[in-house]
Amino acid sequence: MTILADENSRVVVQGITGNIGSVQTKLMLGYGTRIVAGVTPGKGGQSIYDIPVYDTVEEALLEHEAEASILFVPAGRVLNAAEEAIDAGIRILVIVTEHVPVHDTLKVKALAQKQGVTVLGPNTPGIISPGKTKIGIMPGNLYRSGNVGIVSRSATLAYEIAGNLTEAGMGQSTCAGIGGDPVTGVTFVDLLKMFEKDGETSIVVLIGEVGRTVEEEAADYIGKKFSKPVVAYVVGRTAPPEKKMGHAGAIIERGRGIAESKIEAFRCAGASVISRPSEVVSRVEEALKERL
Amino acid sequence: MLLLEYEAKRIFSEQGITIPRSELIQSLEELRELSGKFPFPGVLKAQVPVVGRKKAGGVTITHDQNDVETGVRSLLGMRIRGCIVRKILLEEYLNIKKEAYLSVSIDASEGTPLILASSVGGVDIEEVARIHPEKVVARTVDIASGLSEDMAAELARRIELEGIPIEKIVDVVKRLYEIFVKYDALLVEVNPLVMTTNRRLCAVGAAMTIDDDALYRHLDIASRDEVRIEDEIERDARKEDIAYVRLDGDVGIVASGAGLALATLDLVKDYGGDPANFLDTGGQITQQRIRACMEIVLRNKRVRGLVVNMYGGINPMVEAARGVASFVREKQLRMPVVVKVRGNQEEEAWRILEEAEVTVVKSMRTEVAVQTLMELMGEASSI
Repeated sequence: MTILADENSRVVVQGITGNIGSVQTKLMLGYGTRIVAGVTPGKGGQSIYDIPVYDTVEEALLEHEAEASILFVPAGRVLNAAEEAIDAGIRILVIVTEHVPVHDTLKVKALAQKQGVTVLGPNTPGIISPGKTKIGIMPGNLYRSGNVGIVSRSATLAYEIAGNLTEAGMGQSTCAGIGGDPVTGVTFVDLLKMFEKDGETSIVVLIGEVGRTVEEEAADYIGKKFSKPVVAYVVGRTAPPEKKMGHAGAIIERGRGIAESKIEAFRCAGASVISRPSEVVSRVEEALKERL
Repeated sequence: MLLLEYEAKRIFSEQGITIPRSELIQSLEELRELSGKFPFPGVLKAQVPVVGRKKAGGVTITHDQNDVETGVRSLLGMRIRGCIVRKILLEEYLNIKKEAYLSVSIDASEGTPLILASSVGGVDIEEVARIHPEKVVARTVDIASGLSEDMAAELARRIELEGIPIEKIVDVVKRLYEIFVKYDALLVEVNPLVMTTNRRLCAVGAAMTIDDDALYRHLDIASRDEVRIEDEIERDARKEDIAYVRLDGDVGIVASGAGLALATLDLVKDYGGDPANFLDTGGQITQQRIRACMEIVLRNKRVRGLVVNMYGGINPMVEAARGVASFVREKQLRMPVVVKVRGNQEEEAWRILEEAEVTVVKSMRTEVAVQTLMELMGEASSI
């Protein structure tokens, strides 16, 4: 099990020959990810690390089977690349690229919803199911397999939380980032629904931040329908609300989205709320004990 | 990027939405040249990229040439919520019969464009929605198929400006949605949309925010962006595409990621310190870029210590460490600098930093880096 991806997942890398794409492909291969093809327009016929490169996703999928695609294309090309992948039949799309125009994300999201495709990002570290596969940019050495699920908006803060759990011997089932942008494909609720059904996940750590309302929506779902314990961490408590910090502050939230409202919502939903990365270890331990 | 009112109105007008007759004034000379050509009464509106301008005294009504000169003299150079007034819009005074509201923004949870319309205008739409929810209509739009005729007609009806032919209001709704799409807007707002006593339909209040990440598609507008940032350091950071926000404290922060930066900020406060800034390096770290980030933070002379908090995921930590090490060496920094690095290439990065005699934190816990810095800063100030 695990959610979204496991050792059987076959992956296409879009933008495989670029600076970041090629470095990250090497790291994913080193982790054991089954990368079956790469795509860079104009470089079809070449190969990189023995992975064949195609001009389009459609051409790649004529020769190989794949469920997932990870995008390392420049921000201005994300919309086209994502449409191409969805049209070719990719089911899970991981958009790593940051600074994607919000209107382009709206279009990708609308198309993905129509086609039933799961989109993570933009601006996501991707997915890791430790020991099985990594469709993302997270440092694999900070993770180990286990039964804690992690969902986050931030990339690097999620590495820190995972790393603390790993150091304490608590492994993870799947860790996925919804993306740091103001609008993203899937939200926390979508991923929580998957974790609810996942036999390998016993507890979920949710990492949120100021801006957006995905935390409030997640808290609402947790309170009503989620049966597993949740540890929540919300950052930006001390950030002055009138200052825009990070991408997500760009869209008017009409009075919502401050840290206090998120923290309060998680408390009301029965989640254990932490205020320092190190606390995650003891809180996960406690929550799992209570459950036994 | 929040446009100034006159910039938004210029776009509205170009796209066929009627705006009041107006002149842009940047000096008393410009005002004097207008003498006799502009009808009174007129309304002077300070052009600053902030909300709540009216309450802060940025809008005045003038009845004659003397009035308007006094008004311009007092507004030019005035500070409104930290922004200096350099431009003033002089608009014709309209006799208003009724005010309404119309906007297109983004429903971030649904991931769709959102149109809000109300028969109540000229006031804060949040307030209207709270007190009279039945007077605000909200509709999400499928971005692929666009705004339908039916929806435009329904919204126009709900705006309730009896006396104006409905087609004219439908036309404004459609044009505003087109502007939203064409300019990659996060918000386009007409507040108030007015009907004058002689039954003219006019966009008296206008606001518009364009997505910073789409400015490359709107270069005519992007070129005007930096100049409106008042803080010199924030302006320079913007030029280098560094996400930096200046704060009031003395603890400098460089973090590779917005969430990690926010966590660092919270922890500095929790441990009794006061952050000097927010800074997210983004995912394109090079030696040059990390040096530029440190340079930006240290431009703020209140900074007495610096924490650099990074993870090697997409960012190359060897490059980052080399950049930090060379910066600290060349600048001969006397203040405490604490660097926490984990993830890909962590051991090589530690070696480079240790050779440069930079304080390295190898823990996975941001609080350890923050605590270490606070202790060093405490020692430094007690010497």
